[in-house]
Amino acid sequence: MLSRSYYALVIVLAIPAFIWLVPTIWMLSLSFQPNDVLARTTSSTGFGLIPIPFTFENFFALFAFGHTPLWFFNSIIVALGMTLGVLVVSTTAGYALARLEFRFKRVVVVICLVGLMIPEQAVFIPLYTMFADFGWHNSYQALILPRVAVPIGVFLMMQFFKGLSKDIEEAARLEGVGWLQIFWYVMLPLARPAMVTLAILTFLYAWNDYLWPLVSAQKREYFTITLGLASIQSNFAQSEGLGRVMASGVIASLPVVGLFLIFQRYVVRAMSVGGSKG
Amino acid sequence: MILPFLVIYMVFLIYPFFRGIWISFHDWNLLAVAFNPDAKEFVGLKNYSRVMWGKNITWSFFHSPFWQTGAVILALVTFWAKDAGRLKSSLAWLIIFIAFLIFFVMGLYPDEGGRWYDRRFWPTVANTILFVALTVPSVTFVALFLAAALNRETRAMGVLRTLFFLSNVLSVTVVTLIWQIMFSPRQGLVANITEAFGGSPIIWLTDVQFAMAAIVITTVWWSIGIAMILFLAGMQDISAELYEAGALDNAKGLKAFWFITLPNLKRTMTVVVVLQIILHFQVFGQVHLMTNGGPNDTTQVLVRYIYQTAFRDSELGRAAVMAVFLFVIMGGFSAIQLILGREES
Repeated sequence: MLSRSYYALVIVLAIPAFIWLVPTIWMLSLSFQPNDVLARTTSSTGFGLIPIPFTFENFFALFAFGHTPLWFFNSIIVALGMTLGVLVVSTTAGYALARLEFRFKRVVVVICLVGLMIPEQAVFIPLYTMFADFGWHNSYQALILPRVAVPIGVFLMMQFFKGLSKDIEEAARLEGVGWLQIFWYVMLPLARPAMVTLAILTFLYAWNDYLWPLVSAQKREYFTITLGLASIQSNFAQSEGLGRVMASGVIASLPVVGLFLIFQRYVVRAMSVGGSKG
Repeated sequence: MILPFLVIYMVFLIYPFFRGIWISFHDWNLLAVAFNPDAKEFVGLKNYSRVMWGKNITWSFFHSPFWQTGAVILALVTFWAKDAGRLKSSLAWLIIFIAFLIFFVMGLYPDEGGRWYDRRFWPTVANTILFVALTVPSVTFVALFLAAALNRETRAMGVLRTLFFLSNVLSVTVVTLIWQIMFSPRQGLVANITEAFGGSPIIWLTDVQFAMAAIVITTVWWSIGIAMILFLAGMQDISAELYEAGALDNAKGLKAFWFITLPNLKRTMTVVVVLQIILHFQVFGQVHLMTNGGPNDTTQVLVRYIYQTAFRDSELGRAAVMAVFLFVIMGGFSAIQLILGREES
């Protein structure tokens, strides 16, 4: 089955794949090289792709002082908070739209469709003034709430619940179980794969979001790691040292890369479902 | 049950959206209004004219002959293709509409003694379109090629797919961090390699000719994965029988790709292209962090201009106008996506 041409193809494709990986390897490699060496040259060994001379200095320094640990912690809070919020809101609303009958249901669906068309970049100014009026800037809720309001999750969950067979539900209803219990004890466990998909999509989005945190968090104490990294980028060479900035980059990427490698199947599915739906 | 969603949704998305439109009708200085909420003034459409219009703007038939004749030709060709049955009529009318829009807009210019009120707005829009026009086809072709090559369920192919996809999960700041230093003329890997081969380093990010190219390369590297995944998903939906039937007619390899894969990927292709147009029209981080819109405004893009107008110049009213403009364009593309999606299913 696997012919010679197949192996030729693999080898031919391995070259661009390696080239694709080079920038990432370079970041990783630079993060393990001493700053004083990097100040002189970034290509000591193999164009700098091999970390010789080698040191852990940059990572120790990162955690000894500077804001990076705090930013990392903020990112965790914000990403988890947003994920939780999106899950709660999307499963409940998705279930209601898929299974329950209520007035104005069509209206709600249309409003959600409209919402899919509003890009974040078109509302960040009014959102800014609103949160300024509440006095909420530089807070976790300011970083989390606007993103919980995105209708894409509701659509994903609605599609999923619509696809489920009604038999189990009917059986439970005949037993006299209320719909709230059906939702909690029957539907949610069934929806676990869809929820994992949505959770990963949201987490990745939250972790990597840049524009809204940039607008809303002006105090360094409330930066996310993505935003913090941007703030030390501009003056990387002079003050912090190239190796340390690269180490921050590595730290900032660890959770998302790890998440991706562990849940690859879910991530790929999340991307293709989320992508084609909007 | 739906209430938690609806409340958050109304408060943090729908209301801000209308409030944005409301702001766009006001002379609204960020700092002044922060100290005194009554410092805003209703000015009607004045902000719109200050952003998009100018003094003594006139229209002529062939002010920019290249674009205007091009648009006319495009419209005629599309019309012919529609009549010949090569193009769906909804799509054809859409293209014709866009062609007329180009024809009209490119004919506008400030006459003697006139000027645009905002000299930077239209060039910024043009840069954004240029960026989209360079990025979307590049990403689409490379991703399509990779997906076709990697469309087999073996371990090696899986690993290769992972490698190509990996950059996609990095945040924009990590991506720009990497590429800013990659492109650095003194420390950059690109410069190191060109020097090793005897070339002189290019000052990528501050050279008018290369800055946009650098941004595009970075973006292509970053966003190839999702397009590839979408193509792969589309290819897996094509039934194996088609290929078996094709093999009987001696359609293998490239031929099979051209005559079987491509025609069956039309829907996926539309989704990928529209999705990317929407995504890349909102480009901000790469430009903001790598070139600051420079050199000489050649990489200034719409979202960055909105951001600057709002938070550096404190001109919320004008920034809101641009945000509305952005929404109209993005909303247009989303609507196309919805309509095309509906038509198929």
